[in-house]
Amino acid sequence: MEDYKYLFKVVLIGNAGVGKTCLVRRFTQGIFPPGQGATIGVDFMIKTVEIDGLKIKLQIWDTAGQERFRSITQSYYRSAHALILVYDVSAQPSFDCLPVWLREVEEYASPKVLRVLVGNKVDRDDREIPPAVGEGFSRMNNMYFIETSAKDCSNVDKLFQEIARELIQDANSNDGPVGQQDTTHLDGAAEKSWSESNCCKS
Amino acid sequence: MSVWSTLSDSSFLEMLDSVLSKCDASHCCCGCCAALRPRYKRLVDNIFPVNPEDGLVRSNMDKLTFYSMSSPEKLDRIGEYLAQRVSRDIYRHRNPMVIIAMEAMDQLLLACHAQSLNLFVESFLKTVQKLLETTEPALQILASQSFVKFANIEEDTPSYHRRYDFFVSKFASLCHSNHPEVDVLNSLRLAGLRGIQGVVRKTVSDDLVENIWEPVHMDKIVPSLLYNMQHARPRRISNDDNSPNGLPEEQVDSENGARNIDPSALAENCLRELVGRASFGNIRSVIKPVFKHLDLHELWVPNDFAIYTFRVIMYSIQVQYSYAVVENLMMHLDTSSRSRAKVRTSMANVLAKIIAIAAGESVGPSVLEIVNSLLKHLKQSIMSPIPVDDKEAVTDEKHFQESLISALAEFAYHLPDYQKIEIMMFIIGGTPGTGKSDPENVPAETLLQHMLLKCLLKVSHKYKSTNFSTSLPLTFLDPLLRTSLVQDAYVRVLVQEILHCLLDRHDNRSKLKKPSVEICDLNLAIDKCSRADSLFYKNHGSRILVNLSESLDLNNVTRENIEAIYCTAALICVELATDEMLVDILRWALAVQDVALTNTMLHPKNRLSLHVVAISIVTLASHTMNVTTLVEYSSKVVSARNGSAPHLLNFNESSAESIQQDAISPECLLDFNAIADCMKEAGRDIMGMIPLQGPFNANQRYSWADSSVNQPSSFTDLSNINLDGSESNTSSPGLARRYAEEEVTFEALKKVLAEPVESRREAEYEKRQVICEKFRNTPFQQLVASSQSKGDVLNDTLNQILTRISVMPCGQPELNAVQHNNQSLPHYGNNFPDLFVY
Repeated sequence: MEDYKYLFKVVLIGNAGVGKTCLVRRFTQGIFPPGQGATIGVDFMIKTVEIDGLKIKLQIWDTAGQERFRSITQSYYRSAHALILVYDVSAQPSFDCLPVWLREVEEYASPKVLRVLVGNKVDRDDREIPPAVGEGFSRMNNMYFIETSAKDCSNVDKLFQEIARELIQDANSNDGPVGQQDTTHLDGAAEKSWSESNCCKS
Repeated sequence: MSVWSTLSDSSFLEMLDSVLSKCDASHCCCGCCAALRPRYKRLVDNIFPVNPEDGLVRSNMDKLTFYSMSSPEKLDRIGEYLAQRVSRDIYRHRNPMVIIAMEAMDQLLLACHAQSLNLFVESFLKTVQKLLETTEPALQILASQSFVKFANIEEDTPSYHRRYDFFVSKFASLCHSNHPEVDVLNSLRLAGLRGIQGVVRKTVSDDLVENIWEPVHMDKIVPSLLYNMQHARPRRISNDDNSPNGLPEEQVDSENGARNIDPSALAENCLRELVGRASFGNIRSVIKPVFKHLDLHELWVPNDFAIYTFRVIMYSIQVQYSYAVVENLMMHLDTSSRSRAKVRTSMANVLAKIIAIAAGESVGPSVLEIVNSLLKHLKQSIMSPIPVDDKEAVTDEKHFQESLISALAEFAYHLPDYQKIEIMMFIIGGTPGTGKSDPENVPAETLLQHMLLKCLLKVSHKYKSTNFSTSLPLTFLDPLLRTSLVQDAYVRVLVQEILHCLLDRHDNRSKLKKPSVEICDLNLAIDKCSRADSLFYKNHGSRILVNLSESLDLNNVTRENIEAIYCTAALICVELATDEMLVDILRWALAVQDVALTNTMLHPKNRLSLHVVAISIVTLASHTMNVTTLVEYSSKVVSARNGSAPHLLNFNESSAESIQQDAISPECLLDFNAIADCMKEAGRDIMGMIPLQGPFNANQRYSWADSSVNQPSSFTDLSNINLDGSESNTSSPGLARRYAEEEVTFEALKKVLAEPVESRREAEYEKRQVICEKFRNTPFQQLVASSQSKGDVLNDTLNQILTRISVMPCGQPELNAVQHNNQSLPHYGNNFPDLFVY
């Protein structure tokens, strides 16, 4: 149960009320909490996914969108392997703020971080941002793009699966991107066999 | 033999028995145990009860502890096995088992010795992490409790590979818990805070492990602590002076972890501990997140919380570093120069509140650095363009300036006296000088003068003058006197007030605020004048008096100016009671009276005031110096005035306009000859007492030059011509000051020595008398015409003088500024504006 191969840190950012917490809750617990209150500071969830038979542990840090918590949330960017930048497709302001968020990412996150743009709440009828606009923005800024809905669960699992897949590729290709050294050493299976092989000596 | 055999048989059996039983107990024989499990695993398994509710099986736990202590090499495997069991139990949601396992781990951790713990700790921390990764509050709290226990163990072997980023991140996140149930929320936040405390304790003591002071960690830790602190009971924050200085009132015992502790109290404790452990290099990384947090949460206005936080920091930081906090706050003020004035005011207020704490530890350059930075902000604020019509912005900016000044005063107050002097000299050095300004900047510069002098006044208020030569060194006195002659009347009042603070050693200044002839009613505290004082007077006294009369003669003299100048003169009278002073002050009084009589440009009210000043100062001087003849004379004049001109005694006479200046009868005026007679009668030295009837400036100058030891008193033709020039000024608004520096040649000196002093004086006097008469009696138009015709001659003369002055070294102490702002002869000003500046 603990024999995961990789551990990745994923941080969600974006304006307040775009549905970051709901995305995480949907993914980790499979629920859509109605009337979710504003996150305070930083929330933490963990989820193990399986990609091509490899167990991947995702540490998901769900940050508060409110400006006043920026001091603490920024400190979480640095160690992230992947940053999920969320906006609300039914709220133009949340999309307009994306450049500001990107500047913050440039400033505080590692340059090698995997950046994903997510347009959330596609279930809503009052869509303001067409998919093409979001995609155009993501292409311009060299990001991955996906549209999700935490409410009807569309694309949520896919989002995290893709992130995990991408991160594994990164990890394999350059043999240790950010923080890889300290994330891979916890290999449960290896430990187990090691402890059993020593048991006769006792 | 048989006995032997039976004996040996029985002993053998016993032995076998014991071996077997031992064997049985230890399960070492493979045949005896059901499962082929190593001993440590069986020992671990045995500590778990069949029924989870029963809790840890104590006796078996003791066995496990004993085993791991006697064979420490097995400890790491025990740890691994326990960790494995815990993660399985977490997975299966068997929480009671998890709790039991953690209890066992805690006990093993405490029981076993440091050397053997290293690998065990790895599994222990892995388990704690696993607990923290769950979503269940109970397990997270349990994890933080275990972690704190671990943090309190002192390991003596460094562990280079151990990392704490996850713990810092997770504990910080716990501190922001948003659990719907208040109780759970509180205990989660407490758990987070304790965890942070644990991480800090664990890492600061050991240089080899992770550096907790890295911004990565501090940016998480500090905001978490502050976030919890800001939700403290209002009492805690607003409790101004009592609570945060010493230790907090409730000592939190993190081990026993009473449930009802307020997270804010614990957070405050954590912050104290953290700040207390910070070394100089780490202060910045602790303080920076504080600023960021206060900025983002908009906690500067109102600033209760900011003050509270900084109090906590200042009182818990290692004292030698406290000024670094002040410096950082100042830097933050620098960076937020574009934020609202209210925010900056609040910051400056915080600064004012905490700067005193740092003052005790500031030494050398850091003091001036702080002062400099404060002054820089003040200047910036004054020079910053604010739309005048925006009333609110203007007042806000004013508040900001005032809080900066009070911060500076607060800082100075807590410094030793010698540093106060240094600060005062520094401030006066930064004050814009007279005449240096370019015309557009005049209002701003005047404002700056106001502000800086206000600073100076605040500092000097706190200063306790003892020895004048230290409190008024030449380098300070000089610029101060120069500033006392600027155009702005209010600035001049401020300068006089500063002089009051510095001159007054016996708290007399409040009694001498207004001129009064009722000296006895004032209850003045008078001390004997010391040798050092009289030396000071010898060196500087007359200069101060000259300066006072010059500033009385400025054309925009106000009532406040006159009062302030009187107060300064009176303080000199009281504090520097020497014979020399008496002579000078009498002469000064006569000169003042002379201005009152001759200067028609003055407001009639002010001219009357000057009469009051003159008589008051003579009365005061005669009393303090105890010259009976003079006391009698002054009371005679007073009674004469009482009879015929009571308006010359009362400063607040309102009907001044109606009274004609000429109507003053001679017995109401101070008479030089009478005073000189009094002095003679009293056996006082009247050397240097010369008649003072001519125009004030010229006489004044002459007499000072004459009495001053350093200055030769030979008047060349050149200076006489110049005197004429200044004569013409007296009847016109404006002032004429001139430095009577002469060419000191052997011939000149010889001449001075050879000539009988009296005769030369006589001649001078007569000459002046003639001029004086001429100016009094000829009509004004004619005077103007004649002085204009003289203009060219004067111009040349001045040119000559000025070329000489420019050759002279500037730092020469006796060199006075030469300044003309004569309205009737504007070409003076036009021709030499720059050269007058010094």
